[in-house]
Amino acid sequence: MTARGWRRPLPRGEGVSVALAALACLANVGLSREVQAAEYELNATTALQGYEITSPWGDIVLERRRFTQTLGAGAYHLQGDYAPGRADYSVVLRVRLDADMGVNSHLPDDGETSFRDQTGAHFVPGLEEAPFDLMYGYVEGRNLLGGWLGFRAGRQYVTDVLGFWSFDGGLARITTPYWFQVELYGGLEQRGGLPLSRPRYERQGIWRGSHADFGGSGEPRATDYPSYEYTQPAPAFGAALESAGPTFVHGRLTYRRVYNQGRSLTQQFPDPTGGYRNAEGLRISQERLGYAADASFWQYGGVKGGLSYDLYSQLVGSLYGGLEAHVTPQITLGADADYFEPTFDADSIWNWFTKSPITTLTGRASADITEQLAVSASGGVRMWQTEGDPDAFGVGECQAAAVASPETCVGRVSLDPTDEVRVFARSEDARQTVTTRDALGNLSGRYRWQSATLSLRGMLETGARGHRGGADLSGDKRFEEGRYGLGARVSLYDWADPTRPDRDATSFAYVLAAGYRPSSIADFRLEWEHDMNRLVGQRYRVVALLDVKVLP
Amino acid sequence: MSAATTRMERLPGLALALACVTALGLAAQSPVASAEPSSGAPSAPRGGLHPMANDAEVPLEWMPPGSARSPVPSDEIFPQQSLPLRFNHKKHVKEMNLSCKVCHGAAYGSDAVTDRLLPNPEATCDGCHDVDHGDRQNVKAGADPNGQCTFCHLGDDAGVGGRVAPVVIPHANLRFTHQKHLARNIDCAQCHGQIGELELATRDQLPRMAGCFACHDMSGAAQGEARSNCDNCHLTERPGTLLTTFSSGPLRPPYWLHNAAHTPDWIERHKGVAADDSAFCGSCHSASYCTDCHDGKVRPRNVHPNDWMSMHPQAARQDNPRCTSCHAEQTFCADCHRRVGIARDVAGGNRLAGRRFHPPPAEWTTGPRSPMHHAWEAERNLNACVSCHTERDCATCHATKGLSGGQGVNPHPIGFESKCRTALARNPRPCFVCHQPNDAALRSCE
Repeated sequence: MTARGWRRPLPRGEGVSVALAALACLANVGLSREVQAAEYELNATTALQGYEITSPWGDIVLERRRFTQTLGAGAYHLQGDYAPGRADYSVVLRVRLDADMGVNSHLPDDGETSFRDQTGAHFVPGLEEAPFDLMYGYVEGRNLLGGWLGFRAGRQYVTDVLGFWSFDGGLARITTPYWFQVELYGGLEQRGGLPLSRPRYERQGIWRGSHADFGGSGEPRATDYPSYEYTQPAPAFGAALESAGPTFVHGRLTYRRVYNQGRSLTQQFPDPTGGYRNAEGLRISQERLGYAADASFWQYGGVKGGLSYDLYSQLVGSLYGGLEAHVTPQITLGADADYFEPTFDADSIWNWFTKSPITTLTGRASADITEQLAVSASGGVRMWQTEGDPDAFGVGECQAAAVASPETCVGRVSLDPTDEVRVFARSEDARQTVTTRDALGNLSGRYRWQSATLSLRGMLETGARGHRGGADLSGDKRFEEGRYGLGARVSLYDWADPTRPDRDATSFAYVLAAGYRPSSIADFRLEWEHDMNRLVGQRYRVVALLDVKVLP
Repeated sequence: MSAATTRMERLPGLALALACVTALGLAAQSPVASAEPSSGAPSAPRGGLHPMANDAEVPLEWMPPGSARSPVPSDEIFPQQSLPLRFNHKKHVKEMNLSCKVCHGAAYGSDAVTDRLLPNPEATCDGCHDVDHGDRQNVKAGADPNGQCTFCHLGDDAGVGGRVAPVVIPHANLRFTHQKHLARNIDCAQCHGQIGELELATRDQLPRMAGCFACHDMSGAAQGEARSNCDNCHLTERPGTLLTTFSSGPLRPPYWLHNAAHTPDWIERHKGVAADDSAFCGSCHSASYCTDCHDGKVRPRNVHPNDWMSMHPQAARQDNPRCTSCHAEQTFCADCHRRVGIARDVAGGNRLAGRRFHPPPAEWTTGPRSPMHHAWEAERNLNACVSCHTERDCATCHATKGLSGGQGVNPHPIGFESKCRTALARNPRPCFVCHQPNDAALRSCE
């Protein structure tokens, strides 16, 4: 751990934290006439984790010595007395320090985070020892103007069929008496490399981060990592039309657009002069439209479904639906379908690579056998599609290349693509859709006592692309009215991957846990995990968790 | 309260006394009666031990609305009761023509679930029953059998030593006002069912949420107060977040609401509900509950089982669970892969010579496409590739020849040409990774 790694992010976070705290106080003073009716909450979660990660070849062993600290604060009912359905104001905030004191620990210097050390031989652009981020922090108003208006301002999440997403900005929600509401929002997408931000909420496909240390003497040049894009603020806006009120049916139509801006290296290799081309300017990052709905008819069951359409990639990225039949109040039967085709940030080349959807069809049964015992089971098929037949395509290529014997050609030689081979590879006849299938199944069970739970989770997925199957059995028990707790988990899994047979393994692992709740505001838990398989031998993991929640 | 009392005083004393029986013992946790059991045996029981005579099943039409969906009331909302009493509502309501208000008049003025809604025995029971509850520490049983402790109170030792078993009716874990409902002419049966047809009214006659939704299916502005917002009735910890932890167990949504029964496989099913109505999830769960997994820093064991570190490559290949639901591949996945040298575009010191993750090049990259060729794996699950590879890895072959530095292996799908015009117009950046601006193929998309 370097001093630089610690010092750099913290002052930014402290500044924002102080600012938000001040904002909360100001909001409270300004809005509350009956301060005594407002409620406050402080909470903190501390997590310590220690384990090792070994490279597949065993020559690099990363020590993970992680310290994660979140701090949350909330002030609620800032207007005074709270009454359901009446105007209500709140401020919430949550910040997080996620430090890994094992970064660089396997090296003699700070080579992973400092390009200067060993001239970048171990440098990972964007890797931080102790990133500090604002998870969320916003002011919220509900039920304003007689229930018509709600708003949020600050860093916040939007969760819908377009995914779990975060942005900095404002959101307004207008709820009408006519069974629908409208949501409008706009701001900047949370992006890695920006202050107090992490890259979790960006679209996939672009490696992006801060280049703050790039370009200096002894520091890397941006062109050393042409795939590592500059982070710039990303303007975003969206809208949603949603049903409001009825409990048996709900639907949400949602739209979102995000822009990339600023400079981006496009050329991945230098031209003869050593130069690299750039793209600059405002351009689409994502534009998607989604709809999700569910309806429940208690006598019969329910139906739910949703889809998202990527307007940039011009395809349906995800589609799902399900039917449930309540055979009795205790037994539900269902059938589900899920269709997924990956789409990426519009800056990414991968939107335009040949890729095919994954379709999953499952049947399901769930039963509450007794008040304590519940069981769910599902099974089905997952279908993988390709443009072309993997078993025959290579033979066709060999024939096109006039290689006499496919037995000595496919998978055995490198093929210098001739025009004939290229024509074959692009012909629609050779690229008919072919489907391979995995069988899959899940079994889950739960038995609850007043102060204990016993759970089972088993899964199997198997097909031409390998298999994975196994189960976890876990139990937790609290004693002395919850003051003490014990937990255990055992698991047995087996997996095989035909593309990497050297990585097949059977794993047995167990976890032992103990908990202590010294008071109603604190909860401590210590976990010990011991994994055993032929790949790593023995692996250990220690996790300590402390939750503190104060309601002054 | 005073109005109700005034009216009750005008009613026949006998009727009032008979109506009061349910309240015997309610006044104190261990009420003390000084009366000794009468030497004469009470008259034979006249029912009142069960809702129906001979403990028959109560017809569904007499149960509270919503009972077809929820045969029993929620343990979390209505904790278990102890009713060591015999009482016959049917006799009092049907035969004696007493309205509910005679005994439960307090409900008409009640604004909170903590209000006592059962009658005071001295005001309602004693007029007909030969007993005097005026002094709870010195209850005086009369000579008439209907005034004996055991006439109403159950237990072998009821009244022995002046004690009867306490009636325990914990208040509901709700925010509820009887006053407002009654003021809107919502009569008792609309929530409690036909208690007048029953003998003993038990916990089963308490309302079901499904019955509430007969009216509370409205939301938002200008729709009165019968909103369907959860915090309209449920207790909250903070705005919009329900109190879900009770001594009788955790509060969970019923199976018929949004198809959101939290079954053992809920972790696999919750997507459909959260994608449609995340505000519904937010009724009970704070944002940090979601981020614990979706932006988590401690591996959740209910998502990833033990030894996940060893197993996750095959899980990612099977896309089960879908990595992108919680992880940014270029950073969360690839940063670690870069550190241990699994990624291709990685610092030289982290990837030693001779280390190869995939099958040999003749199978995986440069040869005719065998079933092991990377093209099929990329087509099936491109996200798995992206968790290790950067654009440059792909551009090595798939970029056009010449200045773009590739080998000109066209990666585009069939039908790409019909989309490229829009794509180029909206964001040309990915095109320029593989094509030079003067590329003829690119111009065909302009």
